Amino acid sequence: MLAPVGLSLFAALVGLLGGAVAMLIWGYDPIEGYGALFDYVFGGLFDAEFGNEWGLYDTLGAAVPLVLTGLTFAIGIRGGVFNIGAEGQVYAGAVATVAASLFVLPPGVHHLVAMAFGMIAGAAWALPVSLLKVTRGVHEVISTIMLNRIALFLGMYVMTHFLANPDRAYQSIKAAGSAQFPAIMPGTSLTAGALVPVLVAAIIYFLLSRTTFGYQLRVVGYNAIAARYAGMSQAKTVNATFWLGGMTAGLAGSLMIIGGPPGYALTTDMSTVTNLGFNGIGVALIGRNHPIGVIFAALFFAALNVGGRSMDIASDVPQEMVMVIQGVIIVVLAAPELLRIIRGALRGRQLDDEEGA
Amino acid sequence: MATDIDTTERGRTSSDLQRGLLRAEGVSKGFPGVWGHLILDAIDFDVQAGEVHTLLGENGAGKTVLANILSGFYASTAGQIYINGQPVELNSPKDGLHHGVGMIHQEVMLAGPYTVAENVLLGLDGSSWEYPLTEIERGIDELSERYGLHVDPRARVEDLAAGEQQRAEILKVLYHRPNVLLLDEPTALMTPDEARQLVKLLREMAEAGFGIVYITHKMEEIMTVSDRITVLKLGEISGTRTIDEADEDELTQMMMGEKIPIHLERTPMEAQEAAVEVSDLHVAIPGRGEALRGLSFDLQKGEILGVAGVSGNGQTELIEAITGLREVARGQVRILGEDMTHASPLEVIEQGVAHIPEKRRSMGVVEQMTVAENMMLKDHRTDPFSHSGVLDRQVITRHSQKLKDEFNLIAPDLWKTETRILSGGNIQRLLLGRETWREPPVIIASHPTHGLDRRAVRQTWELFIALRDKGSAILLVSEDLEEVLSLSDRVAAIYNGQFMDILDADDADYETIGKLMAGIRQ
Repeated sequence: MLAPVGLSLFAALVGLLGGAVAMLIWGYDPIEGYGALFDYVFGGLFDAEFGNEWGLYDTLGAAVPLVLTGLTFAIGIRGGVFNIGAEGQVYAGAVATVAASLFVLPPGVHHLVAMAFGMIAGAAWALPVSLLKVTRGVHEVISTIMLNRIALFLGMYVMTHFLANPDRAYQSIKAAGSAQFPAIMPGTSLTAGALVPVLVAAIIYFLLSRTTFGYQLRVVGYNAIAARYAGMSQAKTVNATFWLGGMTAGLAGSLMIIGGPPGYALTTDMSTVTNLGFNGIGVALIGRNHPIGVIFAALFFAALNVGGRSMDIASDVPQEMVMVIQGVIIVVLAAPELLRIIRGALRGRQLDDEEGA
Repeated sequence: MATDIDTTERGRTSSDLQRGLLRAEGVSKGFPGVWGHLILDAIDFDVQAGEVHTLLGENGAGKTVLANILSGFYASTAGQIYINGQPVELNSPKDGLHHGVGMIHQEVMLAGPYTVAENVLLGLDGSSWEYPLTEIERGIDELSERYGLHVDPRARVEDLAAGEQQRAEILKVLYHRPNVLLLDEPTALMTPDEARQLVKLLREMAEAGFGIVYITHKMEEIMTVSDRITVLKLGEISGTRTIDEADEDELTQMMMGEKIPIHLERTPMEAQEAAVEVSDLHVAIPGRGEALRGLSFDLQKGEILGVAGVSGNGQTELIEAITGLREVARGQVRILGEDMTHASPLEVIEQGVAHIPEKRRSMGVVEQMTVAENMMLKDHRTDPFSHSGVLDRQVITRHSQKLKDEFNLIAPDLWKTETRILSGGNIQRLLLGRETWREPPVIIASHPTHGLDRRAVRQTWELFIALRDKGSAILLVSEDLEEVLSLSDRVAAIYNGQFMDILDADDADYETIGKLMAGIRQ
């Protein structure tokens, strides 16, 4: 447990150092850049002047969808599939949630219905992936990438033709008030909906580590042959892995609408929700595919993203430096695994095992 | 000292030893605090050109670890390795091969989806452009001809039976023309005849100047193959004997510290009631024809039916067909009176069939999961281990601890130790415990004692007899004829997808069974 946490912290540190080096190479002052970044995110903790705490709230708000898309990828890895389809599943969830806001329902119920729509849409968007894999052996990387694109353009089509806001052409209709999560701090993106991903992460954690379902999912993920030997259905488990992942991704899209002040709407070009799915892959990697680790990783990613925007404004370091940091972190974390795979392939199989005879 | 090393002479001088082909000095390996003792504690060991030096010891004595260090697979914590008197550093198996040291592992280390020749290519550090596959295939054909190790270099490894994979593994190492060959229980999956041939081959190779390190548990092999025997016990050397000094009883004593009596008692078989009925079973493998060709037998309750045969004659397919892991083309399988011909693996498990698979690491356990989790592989669905889909950790811990104690499983922590780091013998203990604790009505066991030391073999045999006496029907597939003959009530010889004959234990002896296994009918 300690070792993976240590490795993630180390990677984060190397990433920040890498970002600093990149800033120096391009002639920016890393102290100024990071100063601006962290001042925006954490400034409110030390200096209670009005407005200072917005960065922190924005960070918490930005982490909300990342926890959920991080979970999508993490669940996939635990179940032995490389589900990079969160991006498209987020779109599906967001569109379905906008549609769900057409209903007239009391608050509370409407929240649940809207989120259920998002989750069902996300899972439905993962359905072809799992069916293609189970019945035809199509690799999920291929099908998810294709479905991501289809989701983007189909989403744009549905937005412009059926759910467009007559007053603002670039936006969908606004989620009904009865489905909106109110902002905790007006002017920031943090809403009461932030509790949802924490709850979901806890549920996923319980599901994976304490239930027979999660146990089977992990067995299938580690060793499909042993799973079959033990009477587990690989098809069922792989299906469940994709659908569960699709549900959390769809929920991320959902919360971007009903938990997305002040607009509570989706832009017709989907830009409200783009890249959340892909960022989730990095989040899962830093969180070591652990549901609780994903929460902290999402906060870190969100801090970089939110602070990066402020860094761009408050210092002259461009926001894109954040991508350098995130890129370095992912390389540091992925490299040992990559080396292990290469080494394992060269030697035929894992060498750590020994016959102590 | 220009004279050649004369390996047939006893009592070498120290300068001879200095010149040993391969020599280890003060080699240690250990994770202090984990096991209570070092895995290897300051071991001095050497092998000369022209001799077979046997390593003997119980599970966990450190034999395999020592061989792995000598061949560059593992790094030692302390000590020095010399090759031809020169200190060397072996950081990888490639280094070892480069210095002429090749190791053949107990469990095959070949890449399944590739052919035998392609696996050789993988180890050559070059592309197929530098090393054309046809040339490699020719080289393997030549080697397999010369050494009598018959394997088709064009066959995919995963399509080969365990015994054939072992031969492929040996050929892969021989392809590098090593001077020193380390073999970790190479005969474990071989027929007696194959084992004899291998022993003969090793003697010939030794005469030709190879230095050979041989790890085994089989006493009769030790006495025929060795020039010297070194006995390891809990990471320390308990002694080295030349073949002239060696005495079976003394070696056993050195290995275990106490004598184990050999005596198997059993109650006479009771009234006949079939547990497993197999009739006219046909199994086809796409692209390779029929693996089972009309096989029939009844397995009674309270009976051990031994299946003797050379690896690759349909044993694997028979087991997989019964356990629901393989599609049956024709024929019928009935288990406890129910037609299970096309049942799923889960249905077969729920019918009360336990299965100790041949491929214990890749099929029997999930190596990345903990010991406790692996104990639950079959039972996690059932009360009291889970209620309404939620695992009961307390019950699982208690149960795992109980099995761990009963089966002398060595593992530091039930919930932290990954099964991956357990030795083969310990994994087998885990499997035996998990599959037999319920005293299931039917047990299908494939090579159940492979890799276990003599004491654990005895315990396993006694366990099987006890289960049989309590009414379990046991199908025992093994290439260890001693095991088949001492355990079975009846012995079936399998050859080319059919049972040649099923003999009562009293009528079955090495010679008769050996002939049937080779396809010769009386």
